[in-house]
Amino acid sequence: MADTRILMGVVGRPHGVRGLVHVHSYTAEPADLARYNPLLDDAGRAWSLAWRGEGVAELRDAAGRPVADRNQAERLVNARLYVDRARLPKPDAEEFYLADLVGLEARDAAGLRLGQVAAVHDYGAGTSLEIERAALSPVIVPFTRDAVPDVDVASGYVTVVPPSEIELREAAG
Amino acid sequence: MARSVWKGPFVDGFMLTKAEKARSSGRNEIIKIWSRRSTILPQFVGLTFGVYNGHKFLPVQVNENMVGHKFGEFSPTRTFTGHAADKKAKRG
Repeated sequence: MADTRILMGVVGRPHGVRGLVHVHSYTAEPADLARYNPLLDDAGRAWSLAWRGEGVAELRDAAGRPVADRNQAERLVNARLYVDRARLPKPDAEEFYLADLVGLEARDAAGLRLGQVAAVHDYGAGTSLEIERAALSPVIVPFTRDAVPDVDVASGYVTVVPPSEIELREAAG
Repeated sequence: MARSVWKGPFVDGFMLTKAEKARSSGRNEIIKIWSRRSTILPQFVGLTFGVYNGHKFLPVQVNENMVGHKFGEFSPTRTFTGHAADKKAKRG
């Protein structure tokens, strides 16, 4: 079960005395967390979330009962909120969920194992994949059709063709 | 204080010649650079640089919107990848 669940947020401190809680949302748009109701906690209990302010939410259990008071809210602090991977909407063409990419096996053009996708970077200059290799330093490749021609999430691998590199140092002196 | 306009944007000189060579070769290469201080110029658009962040070379695919910024802005030295959740990556 743990393999198919994706962490979407964490319950923070209580807010007020009426059972409201702060919720740290990890979704691309924080407010979108409520669209994934019901959310599951570590114990498998379902919670329905409704925003009641900036980062403050009301949680209701599977029967629709809200968290009654602050004491009950305190027991939920640090509860992780998950959704099943199957409930995420289908991404557009050429789009991939980071949760799908991380952990995929990286293969070279001949189909031999290079390593594993350890992280996906995007700092405003294009997305890149960090490939962790056993006993070798990681390699980072741009997430383009040239460098990553094949992404097969269902089969669990990406084909990586690292572009050649040229070094550019200032001449000594 | 802003840099004087009459000086023009700062860029390490060796980058201009090498970038021109890389462009004329037409090959899809990553140009590894240490010069985080250099300004991104219009002639770099379309090239991919690997900008050193003190630990590794992060690929920077230069586009028009990045002209005028420094290379170092796109290769942070402290990184927090965060949680994947429902975030998506688009293949370029």
